Amino acid sequence: MNASKTLAKTLVASPERKLEADADLSVVRQVQAGDVAAFDKLIGKYRERVVGIIYNMTSNREDAADLAQDAFIKAFQSIHRFQGQASFFTWLYRIAVNSTLSHLRKNRLRSFFSLETMQEGDPVSREVIDALTDKTGAGRDTFVRELQEKLNDAMQKLSINHRTVVTLFEIDGLSHQEIAEVMQCSVGTVRSRLHYAKQLLQAELQPYLPK
Amino acid sequence: MNKDSNRKITVEDLLRLKKAERPPDEFWAKFDAEIRAKQLSAIVSKRPWWAGLTRSFTIVRGLQLPMGAAAAVALTWAGVRYVGTHPEPVRTMETTVAQAPVATRAVATTVSAPAKAPVEVRELVAEVAVRHDSQASKPIVASTSSHLVQAPAFASTEAATASPFADGIAVTLADYRSTVPDIAKEATFGNDREFEPSVAPSRQTVSDPLARMDPAEERRSRLLAPALAAGPRALASDWMKERASNNDRMYESMDDHSSNDRALVGFRF
Repeated sequence: MNASKTLAKTLVASPERKLEADADLSVVRQVQAGDVAAFDKLIGKYRERVVGIIYNMTSNREDAADLAQDAFIKAFQSIHRFQGQASFFTWLYRIAVNSTLSHLRKNRLRSFFSLETMQEGDPVSREVIDALTDKTGAGRDTFVRELQEKLNDAMQKLSINHRTVVTLFEIDGLSHQEIAEVMQCSVGTVRSRLHYAKQLLQAELQPYLPK
Repeated sequence: MNKDSNRKITVEDLLRLKKAERPPDEFWAKFDAEIRAKQLSAIVSKRPWWAGLTRSFTIVRGLQLPMGAAAAVALTWAGVRYVGTHPEPVRTMETTVAQAPVATRAVATTVSAPAKAPVEVRELVAEVAVRHDSQASKPIVASTSSHLVQAPAFASTEAATASPFADGIAVTLADYRSTVPDIAKEATFGNDREFEPSVAPSRQTVSDPLARMDPAEERRSRLLAPALAAGPRALASDWMKERASNNDRMYESMDDHSSNDRALVGFRF
């Protein structure tokens, strides 16, 4: 029963997302009616997720900030064309992902990576790190730093499209259907890319995967 | 050893670690300030007029294949229809261009003229092309200077009577021979691939004064200078006297045969 619920959540958008979409649509209608300040609500609501997606695609904090700001400005300038057929966050993600993809294609040869601080307040991440090491203090910090770098390297070895799919699914938690809408491709393509990307990542991160 | 050390770690677990990478609070303060400034500038600044065009092109870009196929079909249809309604001028032009060089002058006139060329010129081109078609079995080759020299009899005898092409070739040949000295011809005609010398001498006059001089005449006058000083009678040679007597006999014979209405004239050289 739980497995079928998880599968359904993976394939299609959850009911919570639909409620969010309805709330976003009402804010968008306010902005379209001329209430410019209402757009700040949308910025505050989605800035962390948008920056997180772009950061995981570019592995650069400054690029992520610039691209996220540009995505919000583009959405603000084009919000009068938003009809509400798709949810606002899907539309905003599409703008952000397309901007990031074009940026990555333009600067394919230029890569400056920067690492964010890992917040170990998250129970899932703390559990994983504890499982990987029994060290504490400086040794643990060094290990976490090394693991972060290795994860970044593995992500950067993926192609742009595969990296985007992995970021949207594994890190941001979007469903296959939502990723297909954001990337404007079929659900089958999303699954295929996800499967291939995970195989590559498994090979790259093999030393950190105890048998 | 930690109690979670026996936990099975997967790729998904490692990727979930990236979720925990978050920027500090200072980053968000700076982010908010920058995005507010950009938002204000976006409100104030007027969007360029071509921004709408860019969006239109973006929309049209998705229809590249069907629009390209439609354009190709439309061009093909228009071309077939044009050829079907205007067959003659196209055929005349092709025939004329592919034929002899004399006709090329008329074609060049037609091509360089505007679309509404004089009717006389078109008729001339068509007439020349038709007349040449009727004599297609007779080969006329005068594309290089070496051909002009190597086939003089063919060009001069037939050209005077057969067709305007031949007339043109004969005139060109005569011009060429009258303007270029013999030494220059030999040097020039050695190369079969040169086309320009066969045309250029007929257009431009020889400006070198030495080329106009006849070396034989100069030599003759220099050798005869002492004799000229002795008097004009001393110049009469035996062959000149014989020629004068031959002329007298010729006129006498004309008088003898000029009976009735017919007169037989004979020339002996």
